[in-house]
Amino acid sequence: MLGSAPPTSAPATPARGARGGYRRPGTRAQLPPSYYEALEPLLGTVKKPAQYVGGEHNQQEADWTAADSRWLLCYPDTYEVGQPNQGIQILYEVLNRRPATLAERLYAPWVDLEERMRERDIPAFSLEGHRPAWAFDVIGVTLPHELGHTNLLNLLDLGRIPIHAAERTEEDPIVLVGGHAAYNPEPLAPFIDAAVMGDGEEVALEVDDVVAAHKREREAGGDVDRHTLLRRLAQVEGVYIPSFYAPRYTDDGRLKATVPIEAGVPPRVPKRTVQDLEQWPFPQKQIVPMTETVHERFSVEIFRGCTRGCRFCQAGMITRPVRERKPETIQRLVEEGVKDTGFGEVGLLSLSSADHSGIGKVARDLADEYEGTVTSLSLPSTRVDAFNVTLSNELSRNGRRTGLTFAPEAGSDRMRAVINKMVSEQDLLRTTEVAFSEGWRHVKLYFMIGLPTEREEDVLAIAELGIKTYELARKHGKGNKVTISVGGFVPKPHTPFQWAAQDSPEEIKRKLALIRQTIKDHRGLKLRTNDPEEGVIEGLLARGDRRVAPAVERAWRLGARFDGWHEMPTLDTWRRALAETGVDLDWFSHRERDEREALPWDHLDSGLEKDWLWEDWQDALSEKELDDCRWSPCYDCGVCPGLSIQHDTGYDGGMQLPVVPSGLGGNEQLPVTPERYASGA
Amino acid sequence: MQQRIRIRWTKRGRVRYVSARDLSSIWERALRRADLPIAYSEGFTPHAKVSFPDALPVGYDSTGEYAELTFAAPIVADRDLARLSRALPEGMDILTYFEVPDGAPKLARMLRATMWELVWPAVDAAELTDRLTARGRALLAADHIEVIRHRPDGDRTIDVRPAVLTLAAATRRAAPGPGGGEHTVLRAVLRNDGPTVRPNDLLSALGGDGGCTPAAGAPREVDIAAPTRINRVAQGEVDDGGLREALTGEVEALVPDVDAEAA
Repeated sequence: MLGSAPPTSAPATPARGARGGYRRPGTRAQLPPSYYEALEPLLGTVKKPAQYVGGEHNQQEADWTAADSRWLLCYPDTYEVGQPNQGIQILYEVLNRRPATLAERLYAPWVDLEERMRERDIPAFSLEGHRPAWAFDVIGVTLPHELGHTNLLNLLDLGRIPIHAAERTEEDPIVLVGGHAAYNPEPLAPFIDAAVMGDGEEVALEVDDVVAAHKREREAGGDVDRHTLLRRLAQVEGVYIPSFYAPRYTDDGRLKATVPIEAGVPPRVPKRTVQDLEQWPFPQKQIVPMTETVHERFSVEIFRGCTRGCRFCQAGMITRPVRERKPETIQRLVEEGVKDTGFGEVGLLSLSSADHSGIGKVARDLADEYEGTVTSLSLPSTRVDAFNVTLSNELSRNGRRTGLTFAPEAGSDRMRAVINKMVSEQDLLRTTEVAFSEGWRHVKLYFMIGLPTEREEDVLAIAELGIKTYELARKHGKGNKVTISVGGFVPKPHTPFQWAAQDSPEEIKRKLALIRQTIKDHRGLKLRTNDPEEGVIEGLLARGDRRVAPAVERAWRLGARFDGWHEMPTLDTWRRALAETGVDLDWFSHRERDEREALPWDHLDSGLEKDWLWEDWQDALSEKELDDCRWSPCYDCGVCPGLSIQHDTGYDGGMQLPVVPSGLGGNEQLPVTPERYASGA
Repeated sequence: MQQRIRIRWTKRGRVRYVSARDLSSIWERALRRADLPIAYSEGFTPHAKVSFPDALPVGYDSTGEYAELTFAAPIVADRDLARLSRALPEGMDILTYFEVPDGAPKLARMLRATMWELVWPAVDAAELTDRLTARGRALLAADHIEVIRHRPDGDRTIDVRPAVLTLAAATRRAAPGPGGGEHTVLRAVLRNDGPTVRPNDLLSALGGDGGCTPAAGAPREVDIAAPTRINRVAQGEVDDGGLREALTGEVEALVPDVDAEAA
C-alpha cells in the first residue's frame, strides 16, 4: 500500500502533577496544545462534523497567555441542543468582555466521536481553541434539567479531570454548576466543587474575581491551596460548596438535615437575583451557528421570572420576582442583533411572553419595523386567552397563520384548580374559537398527566377537551387540525408539588391508553406523547439526595449517556445501576413526603418560604386557587420581603399590569444575605 | 431592476465540514450582515435567491465553488462583494465574479467539467507518483473501467472511464498540510455532464482506497491509500493544458507549476 499517512498521535496529556504550568496566570502560562490537527482525521467519519470545529460568527478566540483566569463553559448535551442556550451565551459574553478573562465553550461529543476520541487519547476540547478541558481554571456547567448528569461525568472524564471532587488538587479545574437543576445538586455532590444558585451574571464575575485573585496570590508565593480557594468561593453569595455540608439521616433513612461542617459557611445558601435586567443587556453578540441547531434565531429575554404560580412549574417558582426589560431596550437589542447576526428570526423569550406589561407595544413596534421584510418574529407564549391570539396575529403579519399553542395543562376545571392554572374550559373553548375564526389552522394543546389528586375523570377530560376543540376547529374549516400533547408530570424541588408522589411509568401508560381509546374515532385529532419512561430518571435525579450519587456514577460507568435522547435508551442501564447501588426508586420518586421530612435542598434557598410552599401544597389538595401577585395583593411567598420591591407600574400606558419594574425608580437595592437572615426572612 | 451575479468562491479550513444543506442559511445570514439587497423567493417561507450548482462532499476542500446570486436592486459589485466576502465565515472567500447578461447560458452549462486534486502525505511520494502515472495512462487508454459503488440503497456499477477527460500525477514540494516534504498530487478533469463520477470513484478505478469494489478493467488489488486531502480546484471547460475556468477564462494547469508552488 502506497501513500499511507504516517501514524499520527495526539499531543500527550501531561500526567497529573505536571499540569500546573498550563494554568499559571498571564504570560507565565505554558500554552496547552490544540487538538484540532488530531481531531481532523476523525471528522470525516462522524455525524455532523461541523458541530466540532467552531469558527462561528461572534465566536471569541482569546490569547491563552493574555488571560489570568480561564473558563470552559459547558453544556452537557450536543452542540445542536446546547448552542442556543441563553445562559451560556450570556456568561460567554460577560466573561470575555473582561480583559484578563477568557471563556471558551464545550458541548458533549456524540457517541461516535467519543469512541474515536477515547481510541486516540484526545481529551474533551474547547470549541474555539480546541484546548483540553483539564487546562482551564473553571469548568462552568449549566444544568437546564437533570438528564445531562451522566454527560457531565463523561465530559469530566473525557477532559482528564478526576470525576470526584475529593480527588482534585490545586492543578485541576473548579467544577461549578448552575442552572435550574443546580437548585438540587445533591445527586451530583461528590462530583462538583461548587453550585451557583440563581441568576448567573453577577455571581460569575465575583467567582472570576476570586479565582483570578487566588491564582495571583499563589503565583506570588502565597500559601494558599484548593481548600483555601473553596473557602473563598463559599463566601461569595449564592455559591454552595457541597463538601462543606453533610446530610444527617434519621434511623428510618429519611433526611433530618443538611448541615455545615466547615466553619464560617452559611447554614442556608441564598440564590442570586439580578435586580435590574437593564444593566445586563446580554447576550448581544450572539453566536451564529454554521450547522443546524434546535433554535436558530436572535433571542431577547424580555423579562425574567413569573408569578403566575402554576404549582408544577419549577422555573416559575425559582426565578421570581418578575423583572422586565424596557420596550425600547428590547427594540434596540433586536434591531442591533438582527443586523449583527443576520438571523432571519427573532425570539422574544421569557416564561410567558404575553405577560410583559408592554408586550402590545413591543409586538406592534417590531411588527412595524419588519413589515414587508423576511424577518419573522416569534413569541413563546401558551397563555390561553384572546389577547394571545391578537398578539400572534400581530407577529404573523409577514407569514402564514399556521399553528397556535395553548397550555391548559390539565383537562378538568377541578384539576386546573389543583395546579393553579386559572383558565376555565369556557375560556379555552372561546379562545380556540377566536383562533380558528381568525384564520389559524392548527391548534396544539399541552397537557400533563400524573398530577397530584388526579382521577380517571380528569384524564378523560383531556380527551374530551380535545374532542370539543376539534369540533370547533372543523366548524371553521375542514382542513383545520388539533393536536393534544400529553406528558407525564415530574415533581420538582422548590415547588408546592415537591412533596408529591410521581406516577410510575406503568400508571402513565395506562392513563395515556385511556386518552387514546377515547379519541380513537376522531381522525384529525392527533395525540402526541412522550415516552413515559423518560420521566423516571429525571424524577429520581430531581428529588434525589446524596445517596443517589453512586447510582449516577454507576449508570455512567455502565454506559449511560444522553439520557434524554430516544436514540440512547438508558433506562435499563439505570435500573441495573440502581439495583447495584441499592437506590430505591419507589422510595425517592413514588412516595409522598410529609411536612416533617427534611428535603435534600432545604439548605438551598430559592427565596420561597418552605411554610408558604407547604401552605400552597395544602391549598392545591383542597383545590384552592391563588392569584398572580402582579394583579392582586402579595401572599408572602417569601421572595420579595426585604427586597423593597414595589409591585406597581408597567411600562406601556395602554396596559397597566402591576409588575416589578426594572430600574424605574424606587429603592431596588437587594439586601445582602446577612441582612436577610438577620431579619428572619 | 434585478441583477444576477455569478461568483466563484472557496470552502477551505474549518468550513470544509459544513454540509451542503447548511450552506443556504450561512449565505443568507452573511448577505443580511453585509446588508445587500438579495432577492427572495415568493411564498410563506421565502428564501434568498442564491443557487449552488452542485454539492461538495463534506470534508473536501474547494477553490472551485460557484453560486448565482440574484439581487433585487443593482449592487456595486467590486465593493459589495468584497463586503460579502468579509461577512462570510473564515475559509469562505469570493474569488471572482461575473455579471450575467440577459440570455446568458445557465451556470451549469458553463461548468461542464471539474478539476479535482487529490493529495497524499509525504511518505513514498516518488513511488506513488510513478504508480499513479502508469495507472492513469492505462485508464486513459481503456474504453471502460468499472467500479461498484456501495450505498445504503444498494450497489451500483459505474463506468468511470467516460467521465475522465484528462489526468496527471506529479510530485510537489511544500504542498499544503503539516510535515512539508514531497507530496503526491493527482489532478484530474472529470466531466460534469453525464453520470456523476466523483474523485473516490476515480481513485477506486486506479487501484486506490476510494470505497468502491473494482469491477471490469479496474486493478483488482487496492494498493494506494486514501489521500489526506481532496480539493475541487475549479470548474469550467477542459482545455489542452488542464481546465479553462468558467468565469475568468484562465487556464488551470494539469501539472501545477512546481517552482511557483515552492515559492
